[in-house]
Amino acid sequence: MPSDVSKLLNALGLLAVGALLVLAFADQFWFRDLPCPLCILQRAAFIAGGFGLVLNLLFGPRPSHYGVIILGASLGAAMSIRQILLHIVPGTGSYGEAIFGLHLASWAFIAFALMIVGSAIMLLNDRQFGRPEPWSSRLSVLPLTALVVFAAVVAGNIVSTLLLCGIWFCPDNPTQHFLFGGTPG
Amino acid sequence: MMSLPFLLFACGLGAAWLRQRGAAMGFWVAGLVVLLVLFRVHMTDVLNIAL
Repeated sequence: MPSDVSKLLNALGLLAVGALLVLAFADQFWFRDLPCPLCILQRAAFIAGGFGLVLNLLFGPRPSHYGVIILGASLGAAMSIRQILLHIVPGTGSYGEAIFGLHLASWAFIAFALMIVGSAIMLLNDRQFGRPEPWSSRLSVLPLTALVVFAAVVAGNIVSTLLLCGIWFCPDNPTQHFLFGGTPG
Repeated sequence: MMSLPFLLFACGLGAAWLRQRGAAMGFWVAGLVVLLVLFRVHMTDVLNIAL
């Protein structure tokens, strides 16, 4: 796999992570489905994993960057499994509305698993790491768009989390944004 | 507190954009550690399952 293909795949992956986080925002602000603390932490884990994709785009593909993706996604998967287990017994309630039959934590787990498997598949190809020419730091439209979207959702999450939780911990079951009259956790 | 990991990852992104790989990795590790601590803090309910 040439490094150009690696760059394209990493840009597409970063765009997918950015799109997931945009959808989470849509669910929060459009459908008024406020995120629980574990949901916020899972968003942060998506960013932790996506960080490896950013490093691949800016510094060139390295095994350590895929390690960043796998570690971030593994932590996120642990969080989503924890949330799934909280409600796995029938009759123990749920958090938020199901989307296409699955709750957001279940979708998040699938996405984290895909990030781990995708990184492992990318790691199988050694040719992307042994390039003779130095890595070009110039970014074409797609990687640049992916980076801008990703940076925007990171900034958006800082603002959103401050709105929801203030500067301390979040309430377990938020009913409204803290800065708009809610109570801190 | 909950926005701290996002802040650290944002600083890491800024460092990466400025081609400071070491600093970017440092911010990422700090963000991951904070994330782990926050995850531990929020595991308050006992799971009602038998494993």
